[in-house]
Amino acid sequence: MCDFSGRLIAWLDRELPAEEAAEVERHLENCAQCRAGVDAYKRVSGELDAYCDAVIASGARRAVPRWTPVALGAGGVAALVALFLAIPRTQVAPPASHAPQVSAAAAPVVVATATPAAVSSIQRVHRRQAATPVSVRDANAAPAQYHDVYALPEEPMIQIAIPADEMFPPGAVPEGIHFVADLTIAPDGSAERLQLRPRLAGFERRTTQP
Amino acid sequence: MSGDAAPLALPLSRLSAGACEATTLYRELQKPLLRYLVCLGLSSDEAQDVVQDAFLILHRHLAAGGSQENIRGWLFRVAHNQARNRQNRYDRNFSAASEADLDAVSHDATPERAVLEKEKFQQLGKAMRLLTQSERECLLLRASGLRYREIGEVLGIATSTVSDTVDRAIRKLAEKCNV
Repeated sequence: MCDFSGRLIAWLDRELPAEEAAEVERHLENCAQCRAGVDAYKRVSGELDAYCDAVIASGARRAVPRWTPVALGAGGVAALVALFLAIPRTQVAPPASHAPQVSAAAAPVVVATATPAAVSSIQRVHRRQAATPVSVRDANAAPAQYHDVYALPEEPMIQIAIPADEMFPPGAVPEGIHFVADLTIAPDGSAERLQLRPRLAGFERRTTQP
Repeated sequence: MSGDAAPLALPLSRLSAGACEATTLYRELQKPLLRYLVCLGLSSDEAQDVVQDAFLILHRHLAAGGSQENIRGWLFRVAHNQARNRQNRYDRNFSAASEADLDAVSHDATPERAVLEKEKFQQLGKAMRLLTQSERECLLLRASGLRYREIGEVLGIATSTVSDTVDRAIRKLAEKCNV
């Protein structure tokens, strides 16, 4: 190995004193091996620069809201499930005006043939219950309120406000974020499933509010 | 290239004059700092936080009449220490930053060239992971445009050690990447 090989990268980086740099330059004129070495080090340095640019570019593409993992925190979900399970089942009984509920998995798909006017006559029901088809066999003969079984509820049947600080460590949830809990009620009135959805308060529209 | 430029040699006495100079400094240094931190293994969000913190500390430092020499090296040192405090294991996370989909950065790359570039990045990423943490840090700071003396100040090591470490790391990369 050439004696100068250990100084090539420092020379490339202009880190050598002037005299030493001049010495290396004189040597490079006569040493093909060192010239090839300098070319290789230049290339790898350039590739490293491009690599760093690619890393930060890919990092920007993969960037996700930092609160997403927090929103999925099992602790908060577990706390809410425990809370909902503590609710007396009589509070979530389906409205009397509806036919008996069946589970979504077993329910036959029925196409609603509602008239627009019927939308306003539907009673408030839980979203999952509303999406569960009611046995409407004869759309023409059935009363109007039975047609719009797919209508979204005007507001949740149950609203419970839980401060974010109760579920997550202070500061873990940025300001302006709140959570919407979708609670699925089984036909027997028990809590079947709970899903938390993070929302930006400023962008949540209450389109169903009268 | 690292050896070429010290583009941030601002007359630092201006910094305390007002927010305008600080903003200029932020604009010039934000990207190099982010690039260094993300390449080091921090997530994009963490890197943003660290950079914000570093400039906040800079503001306090200047407001308190602190030294205005080599603010670039100072900022990199603060950011480096902040990164270490936040995430001691960022060397382990380095693989996450380099493993994934690193696409070609040049917009005019043909599909063939993009594939080749991607393969090259993957090879370089593997080679980087084989370096020691000190070697990686030295190389990334060098790629950020810092001089050996500044790198030594950031990492708390002698300039001669930086020179040896950079030399060793570049040779390793060249060897592993068959350059």
